[in-house]
Amino acid sequence: MMNGEELMHKMQFKGYDINVLGFHIPISDSIIVMWIVMAILIVLSIIFTRNLRMVPTGKQNVAEIIVEFVNNLTKGSLGHYWKPFAPYFGTLILFLGLSNIISIFNIIPSGKGIAELTGLSFFEHIPEIAPPTKDFNVSAAFAVMSIFLVLFAGIKFKGIKGWLKSFIEPIPVLLPFKILEYFTRPMSLTLRLFGNILAAFTIMELVYFAVPIVVPSFLSIYFDLFDGGLQAYIFVFLTLLYVGEAVE
Amino acid sequence: MEGSGAIAIAASLAVLTGLGAGIGIGYATSKAAEAVSRQPEAAGKIMTLTLTGLALAEATAIYGLLIAILLFTKV
Repeated sequence: MMNGEELMHKMQFKGYDINVLGFHIPISDSIIVMWIVMAILIVLSIIFTRNLRMVPTGKQNVAEIIVEFVNNLTKGSLGHYWKPFAPYFGTLILFLGLSNIISIFNIIPSGKGIAELTGLSFFEHIPEIAPPTKDFNVSAAFAVMSIFLVLFAGIKFKGIKGWLKSFIEPIPVLLPFKILEYFTRPMSLTLRLFGNILAAFTIMELVYFAVPIVVPSFLSIYFDLFDGGLQAYIFVFLTLLYVGEAVE
Repeated sequence: MEGSGAIAIAASLAVLTGLGAGIGIGYATSKAAEAVSRQPEAAGKIMTLTLTGLALAEATAIYGLLIAILLFTKV
């Protein structure tokens, strides 16, 4: 049976250290997977936006559906302030969405398994493709970006004075809570994303261990696709809500 | 390790926070369905409110999971 130690090992920092000009830079698995996600997204966006025409055909339809979905989402929550925020939220939902569901592209056997089969040590370095958001640091980085967006949006659209004034509205008694909100919001955003993805990942690992065939394919639809997509949507949605509150 | 059994039990107890989250999410969703069937034109607004409520209700379960994980590292 898979014991706690093995499970902890799966959750902990794994990766490589590189030395550049005397600097010691650790590269974790989540960073490598994020590079893969970025590469996929960049290549897809270049392919999908080539040869744009007035009357859309084929792949341009897909691109327009995605852009329209993002535009409608931001318009719904931010009203007429939506324009400068739409690109950020589009990027966020695409990146988080692909990051969360990327474990369905996992190679089985994993890099280590291939190395054991073939005896080539090169394959050992291929990381297991796990969602990078199961790393606490990645989720925290996204949450901090979100809260900075809220901060800057509030200052930009209300002016410094209006922004400061928003802390003591409607009554000054709420001031400590309003300040505290800037710390509790990123924390709850981080924990929600990280906790959900880590839980789904852990359950899928246990299922892969217990029943390696047939059963994981059905459970994967729920835990990887549905849960991952939903969490990405909720993260974007809550950020939109916070920004909407800040600019109003 | 000494006392690891008690820590394991404590970790499993921490996950019981899922009970509250489950009840809360179920209740909120049923009410949302009711509201939409009563006023289908307000579906967008109801969806927004429900998702916010669900996310907040779910947070308790996640905190329970987090505490369970923190305890788990001590086993």
